[in-house]
Parts: sequence; structure tokens; C-alpha cells
Amino acid sequence: MINRRYVIGTAAAIGLLASTLAADRAAAQDKTLTLLTWNLPIYEEKFQGWIADFQEMHPDFTVEWLDKKGTEYATFYQTQLVAGTAPDIIDVQGMLWAEYAADDGLVDLTPYLEEHPDIKARYNPEGLEFWQYDGKQYMLPYYFSKTLMVYNKKLFEEAGIEGPPTNFDEILDDAGKIAATGEGRSGFITLNFDWLYWALFAMNDIDLLNEGMTEAAFNTPEMVDAVTKLAEATQSGAINNISWTGRWVEPNNAFAAGDIGMYQGHGAALFWIMGQADWANADTLGVVEWPGGWGVPNAHGLGISASTEYPDEAFDFIAIALNDKWQTTMADTFTILTLNETVDAELIADTEDPLKQETLELSLANMDKATGDWVTPLDARIKEAFYPELQAALLGQKDPAEAIEAAESNVNRVIRRGNR
Amino acid sequence: MATASTSSHQSRIGGGRTVAPSARRGLFARKRHRELALIWVLLIPALAIFLLYRVIPLLWNVVLSFQFWSPTKPSEWAGLYHYEEMWVYDDVFWEALTNTFKYMLTAPIAIILAIGLALMVNSRIRGRTVYRTIIFMSYPLMVVAVGIIWRWLYDENVGLINYLLRSLGIIDRPIAFLETFATALPSVIAAAIWQIIGFFMIILLTGLQNIPPNLYEAASIDGASRWSQFWRITLPLLRPSIFLCFIIGIIASFTSFDLIYVMTGGGPGHATELLITYIYKAAFTLTQFDYAGALTVVMFVLFVGLALIANALAGGEAGKVDIAD
Repeated sequence: MINRRYVIGTAAAIGLLASTLAADRAAAQDKTLTLLTWNLPIYEEKFQGWIADFQEMHPDFTVEWLDKKGTEYATFYQTQLVAGTAPDIIDVQGMLWAEYAADDGLVDLTPYLEEHPDIKARYNPEGLEFWQYDGKQYMLPYYFSKTLMVYNKKLFEEAGIEGPPTNFDEILDDAGKIAATGEGRSGFITLNFDWLYWALFAMNDIDLLNEGMTEAAFNTPEMVDAVTKLAEATQSGAINNISWTGRWVEPNNAFAAGDIGMYQGHGAALFWIMGQADWANADTLGVVEWPGGWGVPNAHGLGISASTEYPDEAFDFIAIALNDKWQTTMADTFTILTLNETVDAELIADTEDPLKQETLELSLANMDKATGDWVTPLDARIKEAFYPELQAALLGQKDPAEAIEAAESNVNRVIRRGNR
Repeated sequence: MATASTSSHQSRIGGGRTVAPSARRGLFARKRHRELALIWVLLIPALAIFLLYRVIPLLWNVVLSFQFWSPTKPSEWAGLYHYEEMWVYDDVFWEALTNTFKYMLTAPIAIILAIGLALMVNSRIRGRTVYRTIIFMSYPLMVVAVGIIWRWLYDENVGLINYLLRSLGIIDRPIAFLETFATALPSVIAAAIWQIIGFFMIILLTGLQNIPPNLYEAASIDGASRWSQFWRITLPLLRPSIFLCFIIGIIASFTSFDLIYVMTGGGPGHATELLITYIYKAAFTLTQFDYAGALTVVMFVLFVGLALIANALAGGEAGKVDIAD
């Protein structure tokens, strides 16, 4: 017979069972890793593939995936870092990682690579060096590109130019000739973030910092001369002024419009332009290295936040994400290099578009001539101290010599403050 | 009076129970306590939020400004290091400070224009309600949307402003308004004025409508001209509303982060850098939270100083809107 005691007893038993099950479930799902990626929301399906593969190895883990745009990334990560909830696995562009590494914010991956020589063997050794600080490996390569010169064959022909320029002065001369072929045309445009323009100075034997990275090294007569010429070319319209004011969309759109002779950007940008402009193909565009073979790498790596509770599992996750299977998927999806030598060789061989194939091959050439990739935790601050002065000179707002002197003073101040 | 008469007699409460005057005073006191308790209950959520999101962060910034601090390392005492850095070495700080003061021009310019508009829509012109709506419409727009609209308007290649100027033969070549050092800040100020002017107009219109019409009638009888009436009646009586607008404008100048961020990001160079955008950059782009803390303290002190000056100029009545009038 159902009485009050029976009902209460049954309810208590059910409650106890439910809470035990819930506690077990919570304990089983308690282990969580967070993955933060850099502006790749369209790759969600593949990230879920990484997670599924990882959970086969570690069924007791859940993985949360977050994605942030480049402009929001640093703010988000640093806020999370301050809150003590930094994502465990991070995808970082440029030299931002060096700042985190210097602050002991990243896990040193060197012991893991020693334990797993097969993983280390995947990579181009020069490529791995992009992510080494203080002799330690902090990130593993995720994807990579390098600045090249893309030129508009039709405009070169109209301007009577036979081939791509071979030195700095020729670049400016050719830019002037192209600009003179018609109203609204300009000869040259560049991306300007993350030091992507630095090949222009490297080909003039100018370096940003001295060897020990203890002070600015760019305040030289060569630099004043180069900036003066670039400023004059900008004022005359030979160089499109979006070079010094735009970020990503503006210069890429400007080149995609078809009225600019030369473009300084990396492969990813060129392929983006090819996606925007029907006319852009191997018949209309050519790609070469910048004079002297100089190029600025633009790379992403995967690393682990030092605050993670599960560094070993986080490394397992990275090892899966960067294995041949997933990196082949990455390379095929975006036609992008990964610095995984097997994957890159296959990608280059399988790429049918000759312009894209040429771009990929050239991006891996002359790795020793990579510039603009100073491994310093002060990278962002130096950039902020340097670029506004350069920009003022290039846009004709300041005398080049004065601007360079001011930039030198600013950069040295940043270094002094950083080395405090 | 009712209280006097009841105080001299015993009163009946509820079901006929009587209470003595002293007990009634006790009850009154308890009622006041209950009212006070209610006031505090209603205030506590707002005060808690204010404490959590305003007071504590501000105090934390003060502490931070005297430390060397990074998210992953223990803090160290820095003394006045950041303030010295700011004062002596950091040119960008001075540029941002100068720009912030220039940007404050938004307030007086918008107030002057808003007075004109308020007078216009307060007059008996046909369609004044439509004008009021149109003028006010910019204010509820999201600042980000305003920034994007004005970016397009200023665009060098496809912007409406360049198109009009070229069509009218005023310029030969398009102007890169937001990319040119000389024009970037005035261009952003124009956008800020456009956004806030509708709000100012409504405040000033309320002020205008609170001015008793008989003052104007008396002035007319005395032979005062319209101009004289404006200077001697309208403007003095609008003073509290004008100062309210001024204070709002100053606050908006100090906190106008989103408009700058969307339109110029502080550039070109640092031509449109304000203190608020520089603080953001210092903290989140350059990871100098300690230095950003010092900048914040300076901005807060400046802000309080300006508010006190404005209040003093208003005769201690800044923001007072006497609805009873």
C-alpha cells in the first residue's frame, strides 16, 4: 500500500541515486581544455575533428573552442590571463607569443619535442626557429606565409617595363612609370602591419635593432635616404597612400581593383585577392621575391598557456591538431603552407594554379633572408613606438630625418623600460 | 491642523484599540525606519554595481599605477616611475591629452548649434515635430554605427562628402579625411557633434519651454528687440540646461572610445589619439596595465577637475533642471 512513508522513502532514494550519477558525470566531465584560435570561424568543422580525435585518446576530457578576430585576440587573451582563466591551447600570429613566453605565460615545449622526436622531425628546422625564445621552443608551426612581390603584368606592359624590378630604386622608378600611365593608377602598395613592409628597408641594409636587440639600429643615412624616397613617391602618387594607412581590407581591395602595379603582401593575401578579383590569375599577375630575396614571414603557431592544469594532454591535443592528417586538410582548405615538410611538398605538387604554386614555392625559398621577425617580447611596443613616426614621414607630415630620430628615441625608450 | 488635533487626543487604530501619543511617536519612528530600510534595499543593487564596477576598479587603478605589474608575474613597487615616464618621456601621452582637450570642443560647438536648432523647432514653423524627430534621430544610433556611417561618408573613393565637393567644383582631388593628419581629428569631431546634437537639442528645448512666456511679453512691451530678449532672457534662463549639456559633452569627450576606435583607431600616427584610446592601447595592445593604470588616474583627476570647474561656473547648479518651474 502506498503511504506517506513509502513516497518519501522512494523520493529520497531517487534523489540520492540522481545526485550520485550527477556527481559521477560531473567528475567525468570535469577535465576541460580550452582552445583559442585566431580568426578562423569558417574552420569550425575541422576543429571539431581535432576535438573528436583528441577525445578518442582522452575520453574523460571535454574541449571548448573559442575564436577571436585578430583585432580582439590580444585583448581577450590578456583579460583571460588576468582572470586566471587563460585558454589552455592558443593559436597566435606574429611575435605576440614572445611577450607571453618572456612573462612565463607559455609552456616550454622543448622537453616534449625531445620526448617525441618524430614530431620535431616533421618540421623545417629554420621554420621551428621562428618560435624559439631563450633557447626554448614555445610554439609549433601551424601555418605560414611570407611577403612576396606580386605585379600586374598588364600595367607593367603599358608602362613599358620589361620585368620586375631588381633593386629599391628600380621599384620606385617602375612605380612612378606605372602611376604615369593613367589617372587613378599607382605603382605600388604594401601591407603595413606586423612589419610586413620591412623588406623595403632590409634591401637597403637597414636593420631595426642591433644584434643584442638592446637598442635601435635604424637611424642611419641609408634609412633617411630610403624614407625620403618612399615619402616622395607617396606624395607623387607612385606609391598608393593606403600603403601607410590601411590594414588588410583596404590595401587588398585597392590592389584587387586592378589599378596598382606592384603589391607587397604574403601568399594568404594574394589568394584572398584572387578570390575577390576575377581578373587576377597567372596570365595577369606575376609573383617574385623582393630584391635580395628578402621577405617578412607571417606565421601562426600553436602553444600552451602556462596556467593550464593539463599540459601533457594539451600537448597531445597539439600533436593531433598538427599531425599530417589535419595539416594536409589545413593546407588543402586554404592553400597554405604549414612548415610540415611532407605536407608542404604534397601541397606544392598538388596545386594546379601556376600562380599559387609559384607563390607557395617562393614562400619557402630563402628562409635565411626572412626579416621583420625579431624575437623580442617588446615587439608590439616597438612597433607602436616606431610606426607612427615612420607613417608621419611617409605621409609628408614630418621631415624624414626628424621622424627617424624621434622613432629611434621612442624605440630606445621602450627597450630601456622593457629591460628595467 | 490634523496632526495638532490628533496629538491632543487618544487615537483609534485598527479595531478600535487605542494608543497613547508616545506610542504613536514610536510607531512613526518605526515607519521612518521601514522607509529608510526600503530606500536602502532599493539603493543597494545600484550601489553594489557602482562599487563593483566603478569604485573598486578605480582604486585598483590607483594601486596599479604605483606598481610594476604583469598578468603572470608578482607585482613590484614602482613608486612614481609610471608618472615620471608619462610626464617626462612619453610624447604620445601629451599628444593624446592635447587631442582630448581639442575633442572637448565637441561640447561647446554642439551646444551652440543645438541652441539654434532648439530655437528653430520651438518656433511656430510648419513641420517642427518632423524636424525635431529628424534632428534627434542620430542620438539613439549605436556609436559603432555612427562611426561606420561617417567612415563611408568620408571615404576617399566612394564617400558622399568627396563626391559632393568634387561635383560642386570645390576640390579637384578627393580628400582622405580620416587618413590625413590635419583633417582626421576635425572629421571625427564633426561626427561626434552630429551624434550628440539631437540630445542637446531636446534638453535645451525642455529648458526653452520652461521659460515663462510672460517674460517675453513684458520685454516686448518694454520695447526689447528679439536679439535683446535672447541675450537677457533666453540665455540666462537656459543656463542650467546649457551646463547640463556641457557636463554631458565633457563626459562624452572623455569616454568617446568607440567612435575613435571605429573611425580611425587613433591614427593616422596619433592624430586622433585620445587619452581613453591610449589607455586601451597601453593596456591591451602593449600589455602595460600598470602604465595604463597611471594614465587612468591622470584622466580621472582631470575629469573631476573639469567637472568641478564647470559646476562652479554654473553657480553650483550644473545639471539642475527644475521641473516645477
